[in-house]
Amino acid sequence: MKTTIIASAAGIKAIALGLLLAASSITLSADSAPAETDKILPYPIYQHQLDNGLNVVTVPFDSPGLAAFYIVTRVGARNEVEPGVTGFAHFFEHMMFRGTDKYPKEKYSAALKSTGAAANANTTQDRTQYHMTGNADKLELMFELESDRFMNLSYSEHEFKTEAGAVKGEYTKNFASPYSQINEKRAETAFTTHTYSHTTMGYFKDIVDMPNQYEYSKKFFDRYYRPEYNTILVVGDVTPEQVNALAQKYFGTWEKGSYETVIPVEPEQTETRYVHLQNGSIPAYFSMSYKGPAFSDTEIDMPALDVLASMVFSRTSDLYKKLVIEEQKIRFISGGAQDSRDPNLFTIHVSMVEKEDMAYVMGEIEKAIGKAKTEDADEKLLQRTKSNLKYGFAMGIDTPGSIARSLSHYIQLTGDPESINRLYALYDKVTVKDIKMVANKYFKADHLTIATISEDELGALQ
Amino acid sequence: MRALRCMITTLLALSFAVQAQAIVVVELKQKTSNKVVFKIRFDNGSIMDPADKKGLTFATAALMAQGGAGGVSYADLQDKMHPWAAYYSAAVDKQVTTFTFQVPVDFVEEFYPLVKNMLLAPDFTGQDFSRVMKAQQNYVDQIVRASSDENYSKFALEHQLFRGGNMQHLKQGTSASVKNISLDDIKAHYKNVFTRHNVLIGIAGNYSDALLNRLKADLETLSDTSFVPARPSKANMADGIEVEIIAKDGAFGSAIFTGAALPITRADGDFAALMIANSWIGEHRKSYSRLYQKIRQARSMNYGDYAYIEWYSEGGSNQLPPSGVPRSSNYWSIWIRPVQIATQLKSQYPELADISIGHAHFALRMAIREFDLLIKNGMTEEDFLATKTFLRSYSKLYAQSPAQQLGWLMDSRFYGRTDYLAELDTMLKEATLEQVNTALRKYWQTESMYVSIVTDKSEAQALADSLINNTASPMSYSELVKSGLSAEILAEDDVVAEYHLNIRKVTIVPSADTFQ
Repeated sequence: MKTTIIASAAGIKAIALGLLLAASSITLSADSAPAETDKILPYPIYQHQLDNGLNVVTVPFDSPGLAAFYIVTRVGARNEVEPGVTGFAHFFEHMMFRGTDKYPKEKYSAALKSTGAAANANTTQDRTQYHMTGNADKLELMFELESDRFMNLSYSEHEFKTEAGAVKGEYTKNFASPYSQINEKRAETAFTTHTYSHTTMGYFKDIVDMPNQYEYSKKFFDRYYRPEYNTILVVGDVTPEQVNALAQKYFGTWEKGSYETVIPVEPEQTETRYVHLQNGSIPAYFSMSYKGPAFSDTEIDMPALDVLASMVFSRTSDLYKKLVIEEQKIRFISGGAQDSRDPNLFTIHVSMVEKEDMAYVMGEIEKAIGKAKTEDADEKLLQRTKSNLKYGFAMGIDTPGSIARSLSHYIQLTGDPESINRLYALYDKVTVKDIKMVANKYFKADHLTIATISEDELGALQ
Repeated sequence: MRALRCMITTLLALSFAVQAQAIVVVELKQKTSNKVVFKIRFDNGSIMDPADKKGLTFATAALMAQGGAGGVSYADLQDKMHPWAAYYSAAVDKQVTTFTFQVPVDFVEEFYPLVKNMLLAPDFTGQDFSRVMKAQQNYVDQIVRASSDENYSKFALEHQLFRGGNMQHLKQGTSASVKNISLDDIKAHYKNVFTRHNVLIGIAGNYSDALLNRLKADLETLSDTSFVPARPSKANMADGIEVEIIAKDGAFGSAIFTGAALPITRADGDFAALMIANSWIGEHRKSYSRLYQKIRQARSMNYGDYAYIEWYSEGGSNQLPPSGVPRSSNYWSIWIRPVQIATQLKSQYPELADISIGHAHFALRMAIREFDLLIKNGMTEEDFLATKTFLRSYSKLYAQSPAQQLGWLMDSRFYGRTDYLAELDTMLKEATLEQVNTALRKYWQTESMYVSIVTDKSEAQALADSLINNTASPMSYSELVKSGLSAEILAEDDVVAEYHLNIRKVTIVPSADTFQ
């Protein structure tokens, strides 16, 4: 194990202890111990927490001269609990590019350009993510720019109102797709209480009203742009010593907050729900969304559902072979559970060739689900699916950015990048019995929401 | 003496013939990689489609990649690859088709026969054909018009720029032409345009020499039909600014693309200089470019505004330029992301109840005026240096993964280069402000351009009238935004609102009539 140089007081104590114990060939530090065995991520994850609670994650990776710098803010549409502010987490992501007293907008833009990095941000239900990938020798400038805006963001009311127009522009471009429109309808039908009832973009009426929410935006920044909601993640041609020292230098004085969001709990659904979009511009479509579990890296449910999704709905599934390849009644089918902090949906998407076949296709899907509930899955297929999950992941992590994106996904869910290793260890443990168990536990008609798109006034599956 | 000269000439000719016949290989050996990537490129693309069977190259490649091969059904191929997480796919562009294969190094030996069969022994069954063609027909009939108004306007711009030429049509073809494609057409096209004479091998990752030798030997058995490449059509010269407005039901905004012919490509020395100017005025998805700052940041009109000096694939999802879409027939363009239409603005803000058009005319004026200003004033030394420094760093991000690195190396060959990104760095380093300002004045003009606007039916006629008459188009802000705007911005707005565009022709095209 490498010994890390830690600037915080707690860290220095830990190193001293580590040096003492090293004499008896044991090392220890307050930082996580990257002991490598059969972890899916073949690179050690170095974690270090600053005194203010900010978690700093470093993954050295052989990418000469290149580093990916991510900040994962564990705030998304899920946190939009007050009425009239749907889409606000995403809007706030936009505001984070509006400058500070030290780096007003123009100066910030020039400084960002000088990093030569690919920099951007995006928001989901559970998190907002800011990222820069570029020259590792610009890492200190990246830290400086990020710490300044995360700690000292400053914008005028006019700038705030102006940026709202860009969000409206984003909604406008997305709205062209009927799939975006049905996503919004599906969410508000499947959830009556939890904030997953609205999309990350938010409702258009709230977007139009955003310019009036200046005061709320300050409250939002004060609540969430705090160390305890954020994780710094650096992957690439860097060392944990270097990253931790920069984190301490630039984020060490960031003050902890105290706000906790109370997310409303979704009551149990008691009957199948339906929603329909009349639109004949694309081939007829339907989705079946069952209430699923929250993400967990300790419970078997989510890994078992992931395996089931691959076995029953992927390109190698019997359903795909029958409906897409042989009968050619559908254009595509996919299915899977949404990884999220609170219980979310397991959704099966189907695009039809002819809308008249919708009921037949849904019947075939129900048969496949019924089979998963009552019959043991093929053990060989289970092993092949596990192999696919592992090799698929391994082939995908070939740049600092791809590794950072993978880790960021798990940081948003649990706050701990090691979740990735725990999840893949759980995949290994999934049994035929587990698959049957989750099929029975989650695929319940009373927990189902069916969404349809067709040229007809009414959905065909109701 | 004469005999000797003759012999030398013959020897040279022979030598040339041998070189011309050997399949070129681009290698990128990475001993620590956990995978092997193959990219097999055929220099054909949709320009090779027969006039009445547009979409044939796309259909052929799709059927190869999504059909059975070597007597093994498509379903069984998927099953075989599943535990390895290996995959392959086809990408067709106007001038090339690229098949990409990726496999973990642990399974490369088992995977290779699948690569070979897909390329050399596609089954071309009737059942696979039916499935693949349904998807393609579906795309040209519906998806292209309904999934993204931004892409729609981009394809519509190419339709105008290359009207009458082989670069005009969508690579997927048209509603009518896809119906004309038969399985026999595909079989013949496979023999005619996927040959050993127009193939380039690319391989990256942890592969053995033996494997590469097998691949080379196997691809020598591709069709030996003599390949006659098509010459890509050049972009037309518009008579002034010619606008096509595509009117559709239920559009929320106006999506705009505009552009004009550009005679240079990555093959040319001036390209790097023009790239600096282009980056300054409109670097893709960058908040520090001029168009973005003027249209989005200061005026809140849309989600972003960018400029291009070559084809940029899937700009809505790609942050960095992808490889695999090299073209020798080029144009430059401006992308104005959807701006608000009148019906939307009226419904949102009572103070805008009297407007007749949304923001499209103003946005177009502003973008073109920014180009005019740049052409007139040139770049400043400060902007030139900052942008050159930025690009020298940023372009190193284009090729990070093995597949990306290989793709950029292969594209280099298309342009007669060896390692374009390395050469680009040198060209950027050596570029001078004078070169940049000379290049931008030489290659950019705004008097002759094509414009494509996808908008709602309710907006189309009023917008067309405004454009053709060069009617003043004052920016219609909500009071919320207007009250905080600086005098400087408002004064500039007044100039933009009346800025003269050389518009000579405006046509409204019903959405249903496009790509037919």
